[in-house]
Amino acid sequence: MSFMKELTKGIIKENPTFVIVLGMCPTLATSTSVNNAIGMGLAATFVLICSNIFISLIKNITPDKIRIPVYVIVIAAFVSIVDMSMAAYLPALHKSLGLFIPLIVVNCIIMGRAEAYANKNNVINSIADGIGMGLGFTLSLSVVATIREILGNGTWLNIRVMPQTYDPMLITLLAPGAFITLGLLMALMNMLKEKK
Amino acid sequence: MKIYLQLGLILLAFCVVATALLAYVNTLTSPQIQKIKTLEAEATRRELIPDSDFEEVNGEITYYIAKDNKTGEVKGYVFTAQKNGYNGTVKTMAALNKDFQIIAIKVIEQTETPGLGTNSTQPKFTDQFKGKTSEQLIVDKDGGVPPNCIKAITGATITTRAVTNSLKVSIETLKKQVLARTALTEKTQAEEEVNK
Repeated sequence: MSFMKELTKGIIKENPTFVIVLGMCPTLATSTSVNNAIGMGLAATFVLICSNIFISLIKNITPDKIRIPVYVIVIAAFVSIVDMSMAAYLPALHKSLGLFIPLIVVNCIIMGRAEAYANKNNVINSIADGIGMGLGFTLSLSVVATIREILGNGTWLNIRVMPQTYDPMLITLLAPGAFITLGLLMALMNMLKEKK
Repeated sequence: MKIYLQLGLILLAFCVVATALLAYVNTLTSPQIQKIKTLEAEATRRELIPDSDFEEVNGEITYYIAKDNKTGEVKGYVFTAQKNGYNGTVKTMAALNKDFQIIAIKVIEQTETPGLGTNSTQPKFTDQFKGKTSEQLIVDKDGGVPPNCIKAITGATITTRAVTNSLKVSIETLKKQVLARTALTEKTQAEEEVNK
């Protein structure tokens, strides 16, 4: 498979949220506003690319039987290093993204890609996979967040889009609203796929 | 048997490398992080009670006496309260006037759910603390009667409780501490008078 194909597959065909259904916990938690969605998406993309590179590099020295614990160690150590260096040298960025870092550790997209892709492919393709999956995650988070923020708060990226008289549907901001939105979007994706 | 020992040792090697790396990064970054935190705390104190000099008082809780930087008159007290929220410690810095009424509060550290608990940092939430006394610090869901209570954030009652209750407890401790300190100073002053 070519680099470009690896890059673009994460966006629609193998979209991590809607198709592979990975990383549901952070999806539900951070899709309450578009701001959060983009922050989480970009932070996860960054970690995903780096962990893919790492896992791909050590794939030949990792015994198959203990690969999962090794991934856990690599990812957790990596995320902590990013967290500490960001807090020390980029405090402004850490203020806006720092919140998402602990959520990334438990993000199964990173684990999932390490196991399903980086473990079997070379570094270049793993980078492409990381970028693609990260962007796909960011994109789908933003779509869910757009619906939830507009309906639940009447704003988009903190800009008011609904008239002042609009009474927000608070449920879309709560966990049930996330499940409903996500379910409807997945149904829509499947419907479009069937039509093809 | 041998293979398991081997696997264990390999895993151990990964852990050792990861831990060593983390320890190294930690020694590099922690002084810097501490420095940023101290600076931030100082900036927040100035933000809560402007035009003041602060005198640190250590005790059961550490607080700062804010004195007008021109007249030296005591304007109030600043302290930090903390309690476990939904997802970790929530730290709130609060400024009180001389009658122990809240002047302003600021949530300085929290790792609550983005979009729900994180709303505790918004002025919409923190502004309702202005002018409240410790008796009025009760969440509406715990039987508080508006307007003498704190309105819980939708979807983040636990965060609201953490902020409100930690402030309540700390204000009461602070009150005792300040009164004890004043009594002590008055006593020493009186003794000095007698000695004269």
